[in-house]
Amino acid sequence: MFMNSNLFEPGKSKPERSFVQLAVKQNQRLDGRRSNESRDVELTFGSDWGSVVVSMGDTQVMAQVTCEMGPPALSRPNEGKIHLNVLLGGVAFLDEAYNTHDQRSLKLNSLLERTFRSSRSIDLESLCVAAEKHVWCIRVNVNVINHDGNLYDASSIATLAALMHFRRPDVTYKDGELRIFKQNEREFMPLLFHHYPVSVTYCVYKSSGQPILDPTLLEENAADSVIVLSFNSYQELCSLTAGGTTPTNAPTVMQCARNAAARCKSLLDFVRKALALDEERRSQGDRSVDGLVGLILNTEHKLSYNKLMGIQKQRQQQPPPSENIELDNESSETPVANEEPSNEEGAGAPMDTSDWLPHDEDSQELPMRSEASPSKAGKYKTNKKTRPRKQNHSDSEEEARQFI
Amino acid sequence: MNLPAKMDVEKDTLRQMHCEFNPLSRCDGSVMYSQGATGLIGAVLGPIEVKTQNLSIDGSYLECNYRPKAGLPQVIDRIREAAIRDVLELALLSEAHPRSKMSVQIQELEDRGSIDACAVNCACLAMLIGGLPLKYSFAAVHAIINEQGEYVLDPDQSETQHQRASFTFAFDSVEGNLLLVRTKGSFKIAQFNDIECLCRAASAEIFQFYRSQVAKYHGRSEATAKNET
Repeated sequence: MFMNSNLFEPGKSKPERSFVQLAVKQNQRLDGRRSNESRDVELTFGSDWGSVVVSMGDTQVMAQVTCEMGPPALSRPNEGKIHLNVLLGGVAFLDEAYNTHDQRSLKLNSLLERTFRSSRSIDLESLCVAAEKHVWCIRVNVNVINHDGNLYDASSIATLAALMHFRRPDVTYKDGELRIFKQNEREFMPLLFHHYPVSVTYCVYKSSGQPILDPTLLEENAADSVIVLSFNSYQELCSLTAGGTTPTNAPTVMQCARNAAARCKSLLDFVRKALALDEERRSQGDRSVDGLVGLILNTEHKLSYNKLMGIQKQRQQQPPPSENIELDNESSETPVANEEPSNEEGAGAPMDTSDWLPHDEDSQELPMRSEASPSKAGKYKTNKKTRPRKQNHSDSEEEARQFI
Repeated sequence: MNLPAKMDVEKDTLRQMHCEFNPLSRCDGSVMYSQGATGLIGAVLGPIEVKTQNLSIDGSYLECNYRPKAGLPQVIDRIREAAIRDVLELALLSEAHPRSKMSVQIQELEDRGSIDACAVNCACLAMLIGGLPLKYSFAAVHAIINEQGEYVLDPDQSETQHQRASFTFAFDSVEGNLLLVRTKGSFKIAQFNDIECLCRAASAEIFQFYRSQVAKYHGRSEATAKNET
């Protein structure tokens, strides 16, 4: 039992930091994951609408959505309001600094605000009942239960899942009279979205140019830079937070973005599947709904990413065709999937860190230098030599454009 | 609120209790506790450093926080926190660690009735597993007098719809003294005494649950635990 528990977060001491730096340089992680492998994500929905607990390894985050009727903001009289709040401290024992403006809390809140509010993911106009008089105010409260790294991802997934799960009461406004219906009078209605954003976090270290995905607390505290990207289902970038003490070169960030876009898409598929399963369980009757108590009961119906997405331990090949149905930009799926296995093979050779950016350097160079690519490709396995050039244009436009 | 349908449970038994120890990694002891459909997480950290204004040479300072699921704590949550704090202060052996702080945090997961009693029980389990020095362990029981005038022990939220009176009692394990009495509604003193007896009998079940769970956690069978107490 420590007297000064403030200092004892893993990764803050010098020996720990140098150890982690060395490990990342050798492409090794303490829990045996590869640099672009993430922990399993588990969703547990509560009995109340809009209540969810997300677990990524030991990191646990709980989100609850509530709504109430109120007057709108003066500047936007025909839009509803949304409030997002992340609360550290409490059971997570993270408020050691006793600061009102604790850096970590501010960063988390700002990230959530930018991902959900600034990107206009919720349709706020649909929340308006009577312009200038009555609108719905949605509150999302995210409570951090345990912090073992990567709170950004966990809170964004929790917020999104809670908002998608939430149902608000039906309401009519006639002749100046507002009537809110109870659940037994009229079914509650879900919220409307413009798009669904999720975030992905990478950590960068001075010792190696290779970012690692989904850091644990030790890795996060020892990191020099943290990159958080949020993408939505259309593979559009919703927010980007990058900063720290180590400079990162642009192709690295672009590669992270590419992988993050693919991961966000599959995370969204997972959330949708989990919601559908929860819907099914609710329709079977109240007895089968354990709610959040299901966390303790350890039933077999765990909604986990690995289970629902059918991903094997030895990494996926092509994503199953059923997941391509929801694709808006179908051609982008195939080159992204092609890049995934090549990343695996690159990361599989531990001592050769240059493999990590195999052909992307080639594809982003100007056309006249494409003769250089066969010689570089000769280093790798034979099946990667023929890479179609058109993959450049099938991703979102920003990535294909030259940025100097 | 999404209330479940009326469940057909007995009126004089506690709801099913479950708990899972140490789900959290950053504290000395934690427990995820549920009674029926009401669930909470309790965590303790201590003895740790205390601010000078709270420093006491006689004993440790107890910090107790109850957090509701949604939003900032309202008045009702602060009342709950004060009630839990009162019980904890009685039970904690603060003289064992002067000039330090014991921090007890409780997070509501789901409120489906009897949340006051569940929170107290959760705190007790958290302190037991976290190894805080206690004079005795304690258990709380909630009972109501429903519309028909019947006594219902540990009601679910659907059963408290039109209650006449609600009682929460907390007992200690060594002498059976009353640690906490909270009532709401109108009742006769004879009813109060009856319900107090009912709750006291039920608290024995909770103490037995503590013993069996902690014994299981430490890898010992219930029989051995019973022989040792």
